[in-house]
Amino acid sequence: MPQVRIIAKNFMDMVASLPAMKLDNLYSNAFICEAILRSLPPLAKKYVLQMLCIDGPISAKSMQEWVLADGASKHKVAVDRLLQLRIFTETVDRKRETSYRLNPVFQSNLQKLLVSGEVLPGEPLPSSITARLPSLEELDVFAIEQWECFMLQLINSSQAERPSNISSSTMKVFQRGLLTQRDKEAPRLTESGFQFLDRGVDPADLISFLLELSFHVTGEAYNISSLTDIQRETIKDLADLGLVKLQQGRKESWFIPSKLATNLSMSLTDSSSRKQGFVVVETNFRMYAYSTSKLHCEILRLFSRIEYQLPNLIVAAITKESLYNAFENGITAEQIISFLQQNAHPRVAERIPSVPENVTDQMRLWEADLNRVEMIPAHCYDEFPSREVFEGACEFAREGNGFLWEDSKKMRLIVKAEIHKNMREYLSRSK
Amino acid sequence: MASAPSKLYADDVSLLMVLLDTNPLFWSTSSLPFSNFLSHVLSFLNSILLLNQLNQVAVIATGYNSCDYIFDSSVSTSRGLENGRMPALCSNLLQKLEEFVVRDEQLCKEGSENGLASSLLSGYVAIMNAIFSAQRSMVPIDSCYLGSNNSAFLQQASYITGGVYLKPQQPDGLFQYLSTVFATDLHSRTFLQLPKSVGVDFRASKEDSRKDGRPLESRRKDSRKNDPNIQLASSV
Repeated sequence: MPQVRIIAKNFMDMVASLPAMKLDNLYSNAFICEAILRSLPPLAKKYVLQMLCIDGPISAKSMQEWVLADGASKHKVAVDRLLQLRIFTETVDRKRETSYRLNPVFQSNLQKLLVSGEVLPGEPLPSSITARLPSLEELDVFAIEQWECFMLQLINSSQAERPSNISSSTMKVFQRGLLTQRDKEAPRLTESGFQFLDRGVDPADLISFLLELSFHVTGEAYNISSLTDIQRETIKDLADLGLVKLQQGRKESWFIPSKLATNLSMSLTDSSSRKQGFVVVETNFRMYAYSTSKLHCEILRLFSRIEYQLPNLIVAAITKESLYNAFENGITAEQIISFLQQNAHPRVAERIPSVPENVTDQMRLWEADLNRVEMIPAHCYDEFPSREVFEGACEFAREGNGFLWEDSKKMRLIVKAEIHKNMREYLSRSK
Repeated sequence: MASAPSKLYADDVSLLMVLLDTNPLFWSTSSLPFSNFLSHVLSFLNSILLLNQLNQVAVIATGYNSCDYIFDSSVSTSRGLENGRMPALCSNLLQKLEEFVVRDEQLCKEGSENGLASSLLSGYVAIMNAIFSAQRSMVPIDSCYLGSNNSAFLQQASYITGGVYLKPQQPDGLFQYLSTVFATDLHSRTFLQLPKSVGVDFRASKEDSRKDGRPLESRRKDSRKNDPNIQLASSV
């Protein structure tokens, strides 16, 4: 069985965590096959390509021979991922030999792609209709502006320069989902972010639409009338997020995908997607952030006290109070530390550690202070009729993994609330 | 000479340069028709572009007398179907290839009086230059060789640069060879079992090595750096 658990870190991971039935349906769309293939680990891609023209199953043993000895762990990760995505199907024959074969729908779609090359999902509108389109730079600026405006509104709605059209109810869905991880937000949709799009519409439809969108060319205009009703509804929300820009001509209206949309299906390694950092943390808990972005300022405000705001510099202090504020909002010390490390200014990013140890340690200690008491809902039993019944009950609780505490003299027992029901049944049986 | 140490690659993005030998002397005697060969190669190019959004492919045709770019994925932006049926990559490449072959043939007629000896010698120097600079910049040269004998030149080139030299036993299944061996990105090469050289002929090349069929030579490298070898390679 597959061993890797997929944690939705980006859009493709989220797609991968869909239930099997949905995945099988998705593979009927060639764009999704392509996007999924590109999201795979390098070795897994290689296997798919290698097996693309092979119709029969291949035994696990012979696949093992494809890799060198020190690649065994990578091999396992690749095969597990392929199984999890149902690109590989596993069969075990009578001699207990495992063999794999490619998902036939996936396989035939990719074969077609190999012969025909990449096909674009739609024809861009000719420039005679669209007149002047925004340049790529303008589009980038637009996308980032939209995204930052939206993020600002999420974090602190009073700071947003202009209210976006996103209704307050969808905003709430977003806030609920993102609250715990919002300080790590990079401009990309997360699983929780995705839920907001998911209003009575089949997620599979949306995923295929988003993936199709990612194969459009950045900066080209595409006619909106080519979309289905659901897609037309969705694309307005996507425009608010900066994934597309909507424009209206005399007769037609069209959408222009931005980089945010076309990067959706891209899964890059961390190093290539990392942006330039801007934060310097000193050992005296002072923090200097070289940034003009309001969003950055608001993010820092989540866990620190802003002291000065200069045109290109934000000076802040990390204090116990400011951190408690963050912890209350559900942000963990680990998240803050990793945010500081990932966004370390190039001057300090080279150093190890990039954030002073006394600061990170203190942050962890303050967090640990809050977690001295752990609360577990529980039930207490006493007045057992006999010692046998009491001991039987203790044993039962231990087996059910719900045992918390016992006092054998007074014959009292405390168990976790989740096994209370089973416990009652057990006790009534033993009477 | 020891083979080049391999660079460490963090991701699987690659730039693939394909050198196609279009020498009519070889293809007129080959068991695999040139058209079949081309369709294998086209699928191979498509598969490289399919694997990663950032992958790039350039194809250079080397003829009897000259060589030229016939495809560059970073230039041809119009992807998708053209003229209704033929995919853009195919039609672009085939058109350029045809133009190239015609030009090469004409050059051949013009150049026949001058004699080939001098060009052969300068060709040899250029090839060795290309190989050594590929070694220096750690760009592996892979060779897929369809001729009857082994090519000492390409064996050495692949060995020195840490690439793969392969002579497919069944040319009809060329795509399988290409996708299994040559489509491997440099990142995965560190832990994949690839064909090893069985014995490289280290003798100095004889002059007639140029007449051997040298259908496909591919080199891949980290796409983020400029390739200093392209210029040299094109004077092969």
